[in-house]
Amino acid sequence: MNLSVLLAVLVSFAGIAAFPACAADTVPVEDIVARASRAAFYAGSDGIADVRMTITDARGRQRQREMRILRKDVEEGGEQKFFVYFTRPADVARTVFMVWKHSGRDDDRWLYLPAMDLVRRISATDKRSQFVGSHFVYEDISGRALEADSHELVSAEGDTYLVKNIPLEKKGVEFAWYHVWIDKATFMPVKAEYHDAAGTLLRRITVQERRDVQGHPTVIRSQAEDLRQGGSTLLEFQDVRYDVGLEDDIFEERYLRRPPVQWVK
Amino acid sequence: MMHKWLEFAVSHPRQVMVALALAVVLALSQAPRMSVDTDPENMLPANSSVRVFDRQMRSDFALNNMLVLGVVNEAHPQGVFNAETLARLHRITARIKEIEGVDAYELLSLSTRDNVVQDGAGAVRFEWLMQEPPATDEEALVILAEARDHPMFRGSIVSDDGRMVSVYIPLLKKSLSYRIAQDVRRIVAQETGPEQYHITGLPVAEDQFGVEMFRQMAVSAPLAGAVIFVLMWLFFRSLALIAAPMIMAVATVIITMGLMIGFGFPVHIMSSMIPIFLMPITILDSVHILSEFSDKYRLFKDRRKAIMHVMGELFVPMLFTSLTSVAGFFSLSFSPIPPVQVFGVFVAIGIALAWLLTMVFIPAYIMLMNEKTFADFGARPSEEPSSGWMDRVLGVFRALVLKRYRLVLVLTALLMALSVYGLTRIQVNDNPVRWFHAGHPIRVADKVLNQHFAGTYEAYLVLEAENKGGELFKEPQMLRYIQGLQSALLDSALVGKTMTLTDLVVKVYDELMGGDKTHARIPDTREAVAQSLLSFENSHKPDDLWHVVTTDYDRLNIWLQLKSGDNKDMARVTAFTARYLLDNPPPAPLQARWAGKTYLNVVWQDNMVMGMIKNFIGSFVIVFFMMLYLFRSPVTALVSMVPLTVTILFIYALLGFVGKDYDMPVAVLSALTLGLSVDFAIHFIQRSMELRKEHADWNSIAEKMFAGPGRAIVRNALVVAIGFLPLMVAPLVPYQTVGFFMFAIMAVSAAATLLIIPALFSWYPVLLEAPAPGGIAGNRGHCLLTAVAAGLSVAYVMWGYDLASWKPTVYVTLAVIVAGAFLCHLVSGKTACRK
Repeated sequence: MNLSVLLAVLVSFAGIAAFPACAADTVPVEDIVARASRAAFYAGSDGIADVRMTITDARGRQRQREMRILRKDVEEGGEQKFFVYFTRPADVARTVFMVWKHSGRDDDRWLYLPAMDLVRRISATDKRSQFVGSHFVYEDISGRALEADSHELVSAEGDTYLVKNIPLEKKGVEFAWYHVWIDKATFMPVKAEYHDAAGTLLRRITVQERRDVQGHPTVIRSQAEDLRQGGSTLLEFQDVRYDVGLEDDIFEERYLRRPPVQWVK
Repeated sequence: MMHKWLEFAVSHPRQVMVALALAVVLALSQAPRMSVDTDPENMLPANSSVRVFDRQMRSDFALNNMLVLGVVNEAHPQGVFNAETLARLHRITARIKEIEGVDAYELLSLSTRDNVVQDGAGAVRFEWLMQEPPATDEEALVILAEARDHPMFRGSIVSDDGRMVSVYIPLLKKSLSYRIAQDVRRIVAQETGPEQYHITGLPVAEDQFGVEMFRQMAVSAPLAGAVIFVLMWLFFRSLALIAAPMIMAVATVIITMGLMIGFGFPVHIMSSMIPIFLMPITILDSVHILSEFSDKYRLFKDRRKAIMHVMGELFVPMLFTSLTSVAGFFSLSFSPIPPVQVFGVFVAIGIALAWLLTMVFIPAYIMLMNEKTFADFGARPSEEPSSGWMDRVLGVFRALVLKRYRLVLVLTALLMALSVYGLTRIQVNDNPVRWFHAGHPIRVADKVLNQHFAGTYEAYLVLEAENKGGELFKEPQMLRYIQGLQSALLDSALVGKTMTLTDLVVKVYDELMGGDKTHARIPDTREAVAQSLLSFENSHKPDDLWHVVTTDYDRLNIWLQLKSGDNKDMARVTAFTARYLLDNPPPAPLQARWAGKTYLNVVWQDNMVMGMIKNFIGSFVIVFFMMLYLFRSPVTALVSMVPLTVTILFIYALLGFVGKDYDMPVAVLSALTLGLSVDFAIHFIQRSMELRKEHADWNSIAEKMFAGPGRAIVRNALVVAIGFLPLMVAPLVPYQTVGFFMFAIMAVSAAATLLIIPALFSWYPVLLEAPAPGGIAGNRGHCLLTAVAAGLSVAYVMWGYDLASWKPTVYVTLAVIVAGAFLCHLVSGKTACRK
């Protein structure tokens, strides 16, 4: 075999090997995750949905909670306000969680407990605490800050981008890194898997059903699974509406006691 | 039949040896199949309702068995709560989490649990109590204050004085506890500092016991064997001669254990004691033979004749001593405790085997010995009559029973009266941690941790709503009722700490309302309870809720910490709770059930004690029946039961007076007492009756009895008693108990046999009369006694195997006795007529 043939072979191999890198170059990974974040958390300028949460523990026992979630974006891809109004079970009905999501500083969170007519701020230095006893953590609901992780495009084959995310600050997170699969067409994240330092799969979030609502790709059913201890939580979204014109003052602390009747029925 | 066997053994000694060697090799080949079971929980059958419930409950509330690591710092003024120690604790916790078999998620430590705190005006915060070790000692004190204020930490994870913290290490499988404890020990050994570390918890105590048990088996059983060997050498002064019982004992133990393993039974705490029990029993028979043989050889000067003569004399008593022991141990198969059943059956098999070997192996061995070995038998000074301390003692005994028999009998009666009083003072109690001697690291850890904490023995009280589906345990009224029960338990001082849903609700409610303790109570409405719990569910570890309540709020688990693992203390707690629930009816109907290791131990102990009492009464009747058959006279049979009764009453009374608890080993030893202490009486009476054929008056019989047979009894007693004394310095308490019991059984039953039976003969010589012609049927009174014994035996079998409940058992027994009496009447009447 002469030298030129060998070179040609090597070059062709190199070309194949370099192909995914080329794809990554066409859409930078930072863009992918930014667009994914918008697709997942910023559809429309506001939104409203009824959510049924089914928590299944490791022994198969189920509990259900129902809530209405109101969301209003302060700036696209930036600050947001959430109002989570519980409707079921009866003994927690009218309980409210309110979140002001900030970028660059800790979120503000409030809790209104109607039985004690009590409004309490909840310090949110830690976003990995569990969301009302489900297998979702706060960050799954409101979105993890893009700048919290370094991102690396692992593959762009088929319909999805696979992005590996490594937290910049190890403190306060239970995982070492996680993969997110992002739909190429809509930039909707469809699956996330969290691993520990040893590579063991700890947690998985799967979007089981999506639908187009008012031109926005929308999650209809999403599941979080605890793969170490067992158990999972299913979120089912109903009556999703965008751009309904939520007023700003709904998200004020004083409104916690008097929920906006027209939005929570 | 005896003669055929004996003829064969004496004429084919080599074949006997080869057969025995083959059997031993076959038994040894089973060794690789051995499996070990050190779990006291297996004292209850796996399908027993309490164990099924315990398993179910552990699964429903996600509760693991736990090891407890205690960290003490006595050197620092702030105790453990200084930056350096907490950094160390943090490091250790992280490393323990990585040990394989540890449930890292459920690990309970300062650094793995959430806290709820005030965070400025109108704000609360859920945060890890100690995610990172504090930088300064001041920060460490803040952690102490927070931890002391949290129901999950106070008294469990952190001691009130802050000198000690603990890490609760949940095990994925209980059987891993010893290995994991060793791993934890390695981890803490790498830390240098003023801290001390202690590891305890029932799983590690039990597993550790298993490990040390095998270590002890390897030391104690051979040591006992060695001491017995030395003693026998002192008596017989012939290595070749005493090698026989030693070989026989070892062969019996190996074959029995091989059989047990071959049948697939695991070696349990109980069955590991089989060698120690078989050793003395095996040696007893052969000591009788050797003792008689060395005496008789001097007369015959021919070993074949001597051995045939000795075996002829000893065949019947040896058959019966073996049978009684077999009966005693076999009765353990009535026990509701599987390992005890296995133990009883295989000791019984071992005894039967030992008897067979005594009949065949010992004569064969003697035939194979060098005739020269016997040459100096006659010249042995200790064998000269009326010389040696043993004969002097026997001389004193003989004088006592012949001249002062009234004194002996009166003293015996007094002693019995005192013993009955002692029996009433016996305390039934056990605690696996106390199976270790006081200085053992496990005991030390247990003591230190229980000094600092609310208790390391866990039990669970599960309350279940009778009407399901209503989320009963969210009702404030019900939660307040449970608080009442909790404070009553604390006030009773039986329990160190209780923790359940109420404590979490109170803590979260108070923090939500401002954290100033003015709201440290159960909120007034069900909604407020539910919303407090919903708040708690926003923490990092909301699953902790599901350790104390099920997700449907129909079942609630109260986690009790006891400072003592003594069964009697646990039994007091259950009794107290039952009474409380009865006196204070709950607002809605509840069912209460117990679980947890401390409770399981109480259950199997109850089974054991009741089972043992049942076995004991039963074997007593069966042994009496055997004596009746042997001596053909109920009165003589009763006499033969006297030393055994005296021995047992005396030993158990001693336990009562000394304050030693009636525990697992003591319970099992009652079977041994029965089997062993009747042996001497059988030998004594049987031989006396043989002598009665040649000698007319009791005085001359006594003279003979206190020579050869008396010496054999004393030798036997000494060999076994002293042989098992080394056990008393073993580091495991059950072995000490066995050592003490062996000593006491031998000493007391030998003394009782050599004093009371001959004293009775002196007092009422008719007792020695040969049975009336016509046997049992010849005497109406004798016949009646027989009928009663038969009736009781039937009752025993029916009761023992739970064939029938009490009432039918009683009826059948009465029927048998009446039928027997009627039969007696007919038979004796006819005999009388014929005369």
